[in-house]
Amino acid sequence: MSEKPEKLACEQAIKMILEYLDNELTEHDHVAMNGHFETCRSCFSRMEFEKMLKDKISALPAKKAPDSLRNKIKKVTGKF
Amino acid sequence: MIAVMPTVDGHMLDKEFFADQVEANLDRFYAHAILMTKNEACAEDLVAEGIAKAWKAVDSLQDATRFVPWVKRIMTNHFISEQRKASTKTRHIEYHEEFSEESEPFSLFEQLHQPFLLWWGNPEKEFLDDLLQKDIVAAFEALPENFRIAVLMADVEGLSYPEISDTLDVPVGTVRSRIARARSALQKQLWDHALEKGLVDQEGED
Ligand SMILES: [Zn+2]
Repeated sequence: MSEKPEKLACEQAIKMILEYLDNELTEHDHVAMNGHFETCRSCFSRMEFEKMLKDKISALPAKKAPDSLRNKIKKVTGKF
Repeated sequence: MIAVMPTVDGHMLDKEFFADQVEANLDRFYAHAILMTKNEACAEDLVAEGIAKAWKAVDSLQDATRFVPWVKRIMTNHFISEQRKASTKTRHIEYHEEFSEESEPFSLFEQLHQPFLLWWGNPEKEFLDDLLQKDIVAAFEALPENFRIAVLMADVEGLSYPEISDTLDVPVGTVRSRIARARSALQKQLWDHALEKGLVDQEGED
């Protein structure tokens, strides 16, 4: 097996979970996190949870545009 | 002057395409505006003004398949610059920005997770499954505006921190800490809301 990069402590991993999900970690940290998730069930569950919540938030809006807005927009695009 | 129009499937992006896209995605634009303004009348104005701006800036749309995020971003920029104009008049403060860095972020997971539970129990997933869209919207709307916008940009629009930094004209470090604090505040809201609704009980507290 290839040599392991230095191990992350859970405390460090937890701090980086959200940025991991945002894809904002350096490649080095991202890889280290992947390694940590392979061996740490607790941090993995935590990451899964944060991911589900993030997905719920990204799916957020479910509001219908009112007719008044539709009409207003027709006027705007009609003028182009 | 001839503007070079972005193309979709080889067809020039024309007025008709633009109007059709607007029509087809109006609910999404409106929903985005509601989350930003929290007010239906303001949201309508924001959508209308954003779309008018988008048409004027149509040359800056490089990839027509990115029409929706592109319009949303124009709306966001417009909203922010309007807020900025208003805030120089009222000298409003960037609330919560100077909150102490040390304060521990609030984590729903920590409240819910039971490490010694048998393997089939998953209280944190159940919690999320019980959470309704309107619960999230309510929690979201309770956030201060700069928090709301940061989470909107990161999670709903999927922008990178540098892109958000660019749009908001604040350093990337500020974006990073703002998003972190916004999420912590959002999770706290969701937790309080769940307690109120009796979705969770506090028996585990000691
Ligand atoms: Zn861990």
